[in-house]
Amino acid sequence: MSLQIDTSIKGKEYPPYAVTVERGKIKEFARAIGDLSPFYLDDAVAKAGPWGDIIAPPTFPVTFRDEGADTGVLLRDLGVDIGRILHGEQEFEHFKPIRPGQTYLCRGRIADIYEKSGKSGPMAFVVRETTVTDADNEIVALMRGTTVVRL
Amino acid sequence: MQYAKVYAEDVQVGAEMPPLVKPPIQQIQLTRYAGASGDFNPIHQDAAFAKAAGMGDVFAHGMLSMGFVAQSVTDWLGVGTVRKVGVRFAALVRLGDVITCRGTVVAKRPPKDGDGPVLVDLELWAENQKGEKVVTGKATAALVSRG
Repeated sequence: MSLQIDTSIKGKEYPPYAVTVERGKIKEFARAIGDLSPFYLDDAVAKAGPWGDIIAPPTFPVTFRDEGADTGVLLRDLGVDIGRILHGEQEFEHFKPIRPGQTYLCRGRIADIYEKSGKSGPMAFVVRETTVTDADNEIVALMRGTTVVRL
Repeated sequence: MQYAKVYAEDVQVGAEMPPLVKPPIQQIQLTRYAGASGDFNPIHQDAAFAKAAGMGDVFAHGMLSMGFVAQSVTDWLGVGTVRKVGVRFAALVRLGDVITCRGTVVAKRPPKDGDGPVLVDLELWAENQKGEKVVTGKATAALVSRG
């Protein structure tokens, strides 16, 4: 018998949370990927560059986490153990550069849940969308991630 | 004239992105990425946990591979040009794997208003040392014209 997940959380909105981007976090993240662009790492070079400061790499918003809306909460909501999940798909849309020292508001929701049989058995797909806005309430980035649960 | 690493005129439909070859995946990189990203799923760190979960051994965060793919675009077209990047994680990346990111330009879209950027659409993928695709995806980059 395969695992049953709680699909009733489709459409659930998580409590909004604020994140303030730390300069050191941008550098730590770029270095972890092995992306050594001076526009992420070198304050002096970036100061003379197009943005007047370092900016964050395209996948950086994945660091925008909160205890009220993280994968731990999703796992509890679904009734699933962390060893059963895989990252299926991920998308980022960028509208403004993400800058150090700025505070952003993140709003996450469960956009979709569906089940499908794959080559390795039945699986559930949980699509989470997070909207990132800045202090002017303008949209900075959209993230859309699909978590695969091995049922 | 705005400065750009690559101008819209320099990129043609059908052009191949210069491949980005990353160093072999090591456990320390996965640990470092866990700290940097906040994803501490033990399946990327603890071989016994990964085995008990039926995955055989640890494997890399999908987001690390996506970071490589995003880097391949910014290395070529410039930091700050990526308007959209989306991927599907097609196969697991294991310790010792050498990941190469590749891509081609599939479309060039003129500015909607007169002086906006040109949008360049790319098909992207990352493959391991056996030539197996581990990530497939798409990106859109905004490039300025020489004017």
